[in-house]
Amino acid sequence: MRFGAALAALLWIIAGLPAQAARESWSQVWRSEAARHSVSVSGTVRTMTVNGEGELSALARMVGGGGKVRLDYELGQTRWSLIDDGKRLIRLSPERRQALILPRPALALDRKLAERNYQAVVTGETTVVGRPVQVIEIRARKAPPGDHRVVWRLWVDRETGFPLKRERYNVEGKLTSGTEFVEVRFGAAVDRSMFQVPRGWQVVNAENDGGPLTIGQVGRRLGFTVLVPRYLPPGYRFTGCYVGQRGRRGWRMAELRYTDGLRVLSVFQRKREEMRGGGRGHGRGGGGSGRGRSRGRGRGAGNHGGPGFGPPGMEEMTLVDRGSAKALRYLGKERAVVVIGDLPAEELMRVARSVAP
Amino acid sequence: MSKCDQIKGLLADYAVGGLSRRARSRVEAHVETCASCREELRALERTGALLDAVGMEAAPEDWEHVQARILARTRKRTRPALRFAWAAAAAALLALLVYGGVVRLPGGQMIDPEAAAVAEAETELRSTMEDHLAAVWAAPLTDEAAIGLRLGALEEDRS
Repeated sequence: MRFGAALAALLWIIAGLPAQAARESWSQVWRSEAARHSVSVSGTVRTMTVNGEGELSALARMVGGGGKVRLDYELGQTRWSLIDDGKRLIRLSPERRQALILPRPALALDRKLAERNYQAVVTGETTVVGRPVQVIEIRARKAPPGDHRVVWRLWVDRETGFPLKRERYNVEGKLTSGTEFVEVRFGAAVDRSMFQVPRGWQVVNAENDGGPLTIGQVGRRLGFTVLVPRYLPPGYRFTGCYVGQRGRRGWRMAELRYTDGLRVLSVFQRKREEMRGGGRGHGRGGGGSGRGRSRGRGRGAGNHGGPGFGPPGMEEMTLVDRGSAKALRYLGKERAVVVIGDLPAEELMRVARSVAP
Repeated sequence: MSKCDQIKGLLADYAVGGLSRRARSRVEAHVETCASCREELRALERTGALLDAVGMEAAPEDWEHVQARILARTRKRTRPALRFAWAAAAAALLALLVYGGVVRLPGGQMIDPEAAAVAEAETELRSTMEDHLAAVWAAPLTDEAAIGLRLGALEEDRS
């Protein structure tokens, strides 16, 4: 009897340990997320990102604190800075003395959703720039067998909770970006003017109506009914609707934004009649990195002519793999849809087709 | 479109110094390894040098009088209705040539409808990607430094 009770208690402890560990790790992750915005930090980071054409890497000077951050880059002859002042994302081009104000939509932190879709596990301890850190892995809870589950790997400073190193993996398990401090200083006084547009610089506002707006508001502004995808990948939920930037030919797109707690899925759409430059019976598709092409025939429709002449009706698709996200542009019968997210190409296609069959 | 086709489309602009820094380095990296494109670039540069050497010849002193006489004669001969018909026919022919991919732009670039559609798709993908990256910037755990690098590269592409 006594032996049975002891065995049951032991089994309960063993079974409960991993869940306890996972819960504990999420608290470390959220502490780190809070520290990322609040801790005063200055230092130099080495950062890399993978895009369709290869790998880009650069050193950047980072200053942050109080919900603001500034990054100064130098890549070959080109220099630029990015400022997040908590409300706006500002891109400074010293060469042109120009500040471009980009939309900075707030994505509400949904801890429950993130914890439902991902697991956070402490996998070890080491040092980064001489400081003791905990290594935390964020893994997708549901992934097809054989798929890579690790999405983020974080090296979190034990003392401040600030992430000193980060690696991001895409749905195929490929490292798509990484940032690591090569020197860091905490608690330094931050000059507030660093987060402002320098005097005398030209300020350019990216055309954006802010947001989020309701789907109806966006539809009224753009003059068409915004359609909601009938299919969404498991774990994603709607977060908001926006009006996207104006393209070269003057059209604007509605953007529906979704999240699974950590990753973002953007679904853009516009009426296809607004397109004045496409409509030729070709398309791109396929997979892998870079670009692929595939021909799409829309319900028996033939070739619909070239720039300026193309009536809607031809299916056409373009797939671009940018490492951390793939973008699929799909021209359906009446709508142009662009779906961007870290998902397999087939999933993006399913989402796009569920908007514009 | 093959890599060579893409680069060849840029060579004329490269030869006259009309490319962005990023596009210029792309061309330079490619011609180092591709004999065919290198040869085409040399030919373009030789032609440019010849044209520079020839220079501009000044118009004759009485050119303005000659021009006025020609214009007066042309106006007299062409009735308004006929002029409209000629203009419409020329526009239709131009549209046909452009559509058929026959007309070349100054600088040797061919107006190719398929290439125009591809360029359109790329522009749309670039602007939507920029909006997407701005959204990812605000997401939890985001790597701002890496996204900033991507946004900078997109801007460089655009310019």
